Amino acid sequence: MNLKRKLSAVALEVKPTSWLDDSFGELHSSLFILMRSVANSSLFILHSSFILLLFVACSKHPSLPSDFTQLDAQPSIWPDYTGVTVPPNIAPLNFLVDSVDDVVALIGEQIYGGKDNKVQIDEDEWHEMLAAAKGKSLSVSVYTRKDGKWFGYKPFVINVAEDEIDPYISYRVLPPTFVGFDELAIRQRNLTNFEETDIYNNRQISKGLEGQCINCHSYQNYRTDNMMFHTRLQHPGTMIVSDGELLFVDLKDESMISAAAYNSWHPSLPIIAFSTDHTMQTFHTRDISKVEVMESASDIIIYDIKKNRVQTVLNDSAELELFPSWSPDGKWLYYCSAHYEYKNKYEDTEELLQQYRTLQYNLYRLSFDASTMTFGQPELIYDAVSLGRSAVQPRISQDGRYVLFAEGPWGLFHIWHTSADIKMLDLEAIDHSPLTIDHSSKSISSFPSEEAGRDSMVNVQWSMFNGQCSMVNVQPINSPLPESYPSFSSNDRWVMFESRRDDGNYTRTFISYFDREGRLHKPFEVPAEDPEYFRLLLRSWSRPEFMKEPVRITPRQFYEKALTEPIKVDGK
Amino acid sequence: MGANVGKILKGSYLTAFVALAWYFLYVRNADTMFFMQDRGWWNSTFLFWNDCVSVPGGLLSWTGAYLTQYFFYPAIGTSMLIFLWVMTFALAKWSFRVPNEWSFLLVVPLAALLCSDIQLGYWVYILNDVDYVFYHPLGLFAALLLSVPFWAYLPVSLKAKRWIALAWIPLIAVLFYYPLGIYALLAAVLAALQASLYFSERAAKSFALQLSLFALLALTLLLVPLLETSGTTLMRPDQPWMYGFRKFEFEKGLRDVSLEVPFYVALLAPTLFPFIRKIKTKRLFYSQSIMVLTAAAVCYSLFDRDFNDYNFHAEMRMQRGVEECRWNDVLREAAIAKAPVTREMVMFRDIALLNRGELCSKRYLYNNESVPPVLVSDSIHIRIADQAADLIYFNYGETVFAIRRAIERCMHYGYSYYTLRMLVRCAIVNGEKENARKYLRLLGRTTFQKKWAAEAQRLVADDKLLPTDECFRMPLKLYNEGSELVGVDDKYVELTILKKWMYSITADPEAQEVALACAMMMRDRNCFWSQVQQYYNINPGKAFPTHVQEAMLFEVYELKMQGVNLSFVKFDDRVLQRYKAFTERWRQYAGNGMSDKQLWQALRPEFGDTYMWDYCAFRQVQTN
Repeated sequence: MNLKRKLSAVALEVKPTSWLDDSFGELHSSLFILMRSVANSSLFILHSSFILLLFVACSKHPSLPSDFTQLDAQPSIWPDYTGVTVPPNIAPLNFLVDSVDDVVALIGEQIYGGKDNKVQIDEDEWHEMLAAAKGKSLSVSVYTRKDGKWFGYKPFVINVAEDEIDPYISYRVLPPTFVGFDELAIRQRNLTNFEETDIYNNRQISKGLEGQCINCHSYQNYRTDNMMFHTRLQHPGTMIVSDGELLFVDLKDESMISAAAYNSWHPSLPIIAFSTDHTMQTFHTRDISKVEVMESASDIIIYDIKKNRVQTVLNDSAELELFPSWSPDGKWLYYCSAHYEYKNKYEDTEELLQQYRTLQYNLYRLSFDASTMTFGQPELIYDAVSLGRSAVQPRISQDGRYVLFAEGPWGLFHIWHTSADIKMLDLEAIDHSPLTIDHSSKSISSFPSEEAGRDSMVNVQWSMFNGQCSMVNVQPINSPLPESYPSFSSNDRWVMFESRRDDGNYTRTFISYFDREGRLHKPFEVPAEDPEYFRLLLRSWSRPEFMKEPVRITPRQFYEKALTEPIKVDGK
Repeated sequence: MGANVGKILKGSYLTAFVALAWYFLYVRNADTMFFMQDRGWWNSTFLFWNDCVSVPGGLLSWTGAYLTQYFFYPAIGTSMLIFLWVMTFALAKWSFRVPNEWSFLLVVPLAALLCSDIQLGYWVYILNDVDYVFYHPLGLFAALLLSVPFWAYLPVSLKAKRWIALAWIPLIAVLFYYPLGIYALLAAVLAALQASLYFSERAAKSFALQLSLFALLALTLLLVPLLETSGTTLMRPDQPWMYGFRKFEFEKGLRDVSLEVPFYVALLAPTLFPFIRKIKTKRLFYSQSIMVLTAAAVCYSLFDRDFNDYNFHAEMRMQRGVEECRWNDVLREAAIAKAPVTREMVMFRDIALLNRGELCSKRYLYNNESVPPVLVSDSIHIRIADQAADLIYFNYGETVFAIRRAIERCMHYGYSYYTLRMLVRCAIVNGEKENARKYLRLLGRTTFQKKWAAEAQRLVADDKLLPTDECFRMPLKLYNEGSELVGVDDKYVELTILKKWMYSITADPEAQEVALACAMMMRDRNCFWSQVQQYYNINPGKAFPTHVQEAMLFEVYELKMQGVNLSFVKFDDRVLQRYKAFTERWRQYAGNGMSDKQLWQALRPEFGDTYMWDYCAFRQVQTN
């Protein structure tokens, strides 16, 4: 493949870390680089041979079969990249064809494959092809060999958009776990190639079965100089990078239900909005959704990093407020909330277990005055409950016009709900007719079924109580299996979300083009160097976030910080 | 000493060790060795390779995991392991020039490794090493190989040899720390000792050389692990020197150091090998006396450390029987067990019975007296949840709970063939075909699971085969007939199943019999009579199973259940007579002043196979 980059990746890996720099200084650095380079030589030789073989194999373009049977169908390739729209800076869309002995593909004017059932494209050539096809499309003709016979398929296209995508994403990598946290990492991937590195890995700190949960990574304006994630169980706290400085904070004071959780950075101020909640998890016995997650209580707070102070925003005991999300202009705080009044005692978990299907969330927003740090009254943005659905995880486009969210039958963890889909609301209409919260209008007559509502929201128009707002047609991006956690790229032209459409259990990242006319296009799965990678990987990629740049704080720096005592916040 | 005597001694030592190893590994522990491979994991994908080699000892881990697979046929695995040990013995003898009469000393680290395989007991359930059996033998062999003083055979001057020997010490560690972990450090130590002795024997003795050798060794041991692991995010930074050494640590600081002793022996004993040839005695009596003492110590350790608990081995055999749907074998094993059994054995037996439709007619023919959960290292309870909860849940149609337990075990103790097969089964029953195919793809890349994967693929492709498949028939039925609830098991596997099923009302006769049996086991009167009514409704004209008849009689006449009309029940004469005899004998013995314990022991030979006896003998509901 790309030998040069592979080697530079190895060199990156051997970068000495700060704590050793302190001890050994330059001597260490040179010694380290020398020794580690030599040290890994046996593995290096194996790796290099492998890479060299790949390089040789891939740089030699195979030829097309001269004698083949033409079929009147497009090939069934995996991942399904037929007819997708990709950014001009994406890594090669390598793919495979099942149940064949050999495959070659004519992509543009170049031929790839000829090695088992996989087509792996040279990175440099791919990027040249994309640059030439910007705003147009690439034609792909696939030929397969089975039992000595070649077959040709109808060509398919890969559309190349004019708009680039943010070069990095970050996500949690974890087994499809339920309770344990032995193995968990937050990783970053360069979308323009296949480089993937750890931001933080709990294997640095885990001991025996005592794992460390790490979650809720987020960034201010897609930049990594201001970012954060939580650590739980062992060495609990919140890692916050503020203007490049690493802080470790205990975001829990007496006024809060529990430590801070789901969060969103204010776009311009050193403020992070959090929900703080009590989470429960339970299991189905038959339903293949398998898991239900619910909050027995939740509020919303904001944390001022510079003042190290938390301020309560919403704490209505009859409302379960979650997933705060700032609008890009910083004037609105979006969130979702479920109305629930306990019949017996507050936070009666037994009662909640019986009633979990009634926990349905609507989308709301609060105006925010940065000069006084005050919030307005809640405004209902999207009444999912009246449709028998539950809307969570709102994300606002950079132009402030669209709201992306995940919608499922009930609850908040839609990645466990097979009928969960991504939805998108066009806010242009609603801005002129804001609504105030009115709980009396909400009622649930019966449990919505998993399938109810799945297709009802494909309709472009959705009626509100005293106004209209448009729903964007999201049919191109959803599947019969769960979709969740959507987000916009920094230029609004790409929508990323997680989905279990591959196999129902392992979460993968998908990206869809959102054109200037407000149309979503067929999404593509984040490409892998070996197209079999995601099929074989027994871990999920969860909670993907766009980034304009990689995280610069090293995993070791995070680790060392985690060993220190977190700073206590001042409550207010 | 004559050369022939020496050869005979050497051959005898080796033969004795091979025989011991075969006896302990194959004769006494074939089931354990099979189990360990089944809880291991190797596949030919690049992902598995990357997972292995990204931490020190990775090459050993990958190769160890590959070879451990061969215990799928315990005789083959045992032969391979013994062959490796014989090679290690031969290599050590040649490399360290150990005299024949002292060669039994070379067996000590090998015996320690043998001990490490047979001593584990219930730790096998919570090991997270998929490569455990071969990792350390391979490591020891590699360390000995790397420490061979190859420079001694080079046609160069002694001075040049000195420089090469010096350079080789850090090079071993630098080059092989990642592939071999701690065994690369052992190799560096052995290489330094080899060099030290070699040059001292050749009048090249000089304080400066010896000082350089050991200073270099100390620096190597200190710096190489530290530097090589400082960039990784995949391991704790405070453990670079011991990476690859097996620690028996559990949560909350629990650790069983006694299980680590064999590994200390395996690492430290070879450092004495270079000095064996320095022993001056030429008297065979002295050397052989020491050898006999060593052999006695080795034998004693092996017999002492071999975990020979009957239930431990029976559980493994029964688990395999349940997985392979060999219900007769499971019941045969259950019939043999006369002493108190584990709850897992009870549950395996019940699964066999329910698959044969005999849960309500033969359950109390078997021993239900059970022991509390086993303690490991005096502090860790090994419970069904850690053992085969997924297999048990699956067989009761609780596929989601089975998946939950399977995945959690993967998290804690790594993926395994066993777990992947379980996840495939659950996915098939759940109708999650793509998920099943994902796991089957991986199983297809292993050495010995391909056949199973191909067979399962057939079921994925055609789910009409499921209702007639011996292994899927009942799980599918119970999955379909079971109610949908939400909850958690809190690690009480048996109780969770019993509680769910005793309340389940189903019209399927086979599933209903399971529900009825669960109500009997839980001794819940309301559930029992509801299930009796349901049985009557859906099986018109059919006689109640034996134990149900016993339970009805006992409930009404002994426990004085009110408001039950038994006139609709046609009792077997034999059941009626035995019930009558039981109550008479009970009153007779009680009148003789027998204690409860004496009373139930006295009644056992005649009535130990009845519901009544079980109810009275075990005062409390027996579940895990």
